[in-house]
Amino acid sequence: MIKKIMKNPENKGYLFILPWLIGFVTLTIYPILYSFYLSFFDVTITTEGIQTESVGIENYQSAMTSDIEFINRLIEYVREILISVPLIVIISLLIALLLNQNIRFKGVFRTIFFLPVIISSGPVLDKLIGLDIATLNMVETNALYEMIAGMDNILASSFVYIIDNLIILLWFSGVQILIFNSALQKVDKKIYEAASIDGASSWESFWKITLPSLFPMIMVNIVYTTVMYSVSSLSTIVGHIQSNMFQLETGFGYASSLSWIYFILIVLVLITFTGIIGLFNRKYK
Amino acid sequence: MSAFKGRQINPKTFHKSQLKFYAVLIPLAIFMGLPIVYIFNHAFKPIDELFAFPPRFFVEKPTWQNFRNLFESTSLGATPMSRYLFNSIVVSLVVVVLTIIVATMAGYVLSKKQFRMKKALTEINTIALMFVATAVAIPRYFVIEQLGLINTFWVHILPALAMPVGLFLIKQFIDQIPDEMLEAAIMDGANDFQIYIRVILPMIKPAIATVAILAFQATWNNVEISDVFINNESLRTFAFYMSTLATKGNAVAGQGVSAAASLIMFIPNLVIFIFLQKQVMDTMAHSGIK
Repeated sequence: MIKKIMKNPENKGYLFILPWLIGFVTLTIYPILYSFYLSFFDVTITTEGIQTESVGIENYQSAMTSDIEFINRLIEYVREILISVPLIVIISLLIALLLNQNIRFKGVFRTIFFLPVIISSGPVLDKLIGLDIATLNMVETNALYEMIAGMDNILASSFVYIIDNLIILLWFSGVQILIFNSALQKVDKKIYEAASIDGASSWESFWKITLPSLFPMIMVNIVYTTVMYSVSSLSTIVGHIQSNMFQLETGFGYASSLSWIYFILIVLVLITFTGIIGLFNRKYK
Repeated sequence: MSAFKGRQINPKTFHKSQLKFYAVLIPLAIFMGLPIVYIFNHAFKPIDELFAFPPRFFVEKPTWQNFRNLFESTSLGATPMSRYLFNSIVVSLVVVVLTIIVATMAGYVLSKKQFRMKKALTEINTIALMFVATAVAIPRYFVIEQLGLINTFWVHILPALAMPVGLFLIKQFIDQIPDEMLEAAIMDGANDFQIYIRVILPMIKPAIATVAILAFQATWNNVEISDVFINNESLRTFAFYMSTLATKGNAVAGQGVSAAASLIMFIPNLVIFIFLQKQVMDTMAHSGIK
């Protein structure tokens, strides 16, 4: 069959995908599926290899019922991600828009705003957070902040979370700014000229021209942000999974089941986000 | 706001109307720049400032002592520092180049070709992004063991190649290239390879630069692979070496050594970044991409 496909020169292009496909299946898909298999076992790693003992869905059961720390962190995660992702995407969109204005030293500003790309993935970020300079100390002594922090409802705690993590949120937005920026430059300038001749204000051009043409990239950025935020080494859940992996009484099987629960939750969050954006997009068309 | 009409990257003149942008951009830029300033300051702090409580951001009495300690402790090991450095440079360069080739080729097929599994493959790639990397560490170890990659140079390179993030970003950018462009190329008699080299690659340079930065980051800073898959010192990387230095010798000087080491580790990131982001800017300014 392969020979038949290869005879047609038009099909040779499909071969381009092979190197990726082979690597992806052996080193990403297979390990992921294997970890799913192991999540139904009690795994002990000995010097002679691994020993498995089937426990059925017990790992999942104990994760969802008796691991209070895990459940609390999951709830916290959902709250954080519902605030952070839209915030990061909006911040990076605004910065990208500003960086596309006609200002002096634009090149310098662009360089500075892309810097987070090399910081947020490195070990530097951990150190900075450890040092407590990632929070705005001067805000915390502000009377208004104290008043809101004192209130006990979802809005107030969301507000506190934003203020406490503002700088981290900014540092997470490097790649997103870059993506928006290159998308903004691809928008045909003549459309803006035509719109302004027709009497559209720049506010109207933003909503009618810029935003619709950015939709695909907004989607990309939401996926990217959600993923990076969820699987970053700063995540407390990742830390929890990691620590369970090497504990004698829990082990790798249990850690696998935790990561599968977490994984499904991330997928659900992402479906929620893309669903909302999709609805919004349809309204525009 | 007639700013949208501008075509130049940097306007030559300064005008009062630009002030409102500066008012927002400058404070944000300072926040963004803080970590860099911090890394540089931290590396030059003498011992008493490193342990000062509350921690200080700026160095008061800068000293080279941390770097001197660092180079002293490098002479203790059996393998020379240049060996680790050489390994890191080779591995990083190979990974960056191969990642880009693999990801752009796959991105081209996934984005512009029609076949049955196309949508499913794309979705699986996106979903694989969401899986916590540490959770696959042990299964991945078995695979690498079975492939006979333990204690070889390839273990640094092969696992890094199928980077789901890279393919994800690149495919999105290729999606933005209009099909008419490819049709025109086919009309002119271009085959797949020519389309890939002459049309696809030049048009997605910003994405390539981004993926290059991310791939370099991931490889250059990777300690895990040297730690888990390799027990031969001469195959380990610079990042691993730097991380061991801090624990060697006495613990107090270790803090300073690790600060100096993280500055040395960080500088290549900065250089690659500045170099590549300039590439992105230049292509965007001069090419007629719409």
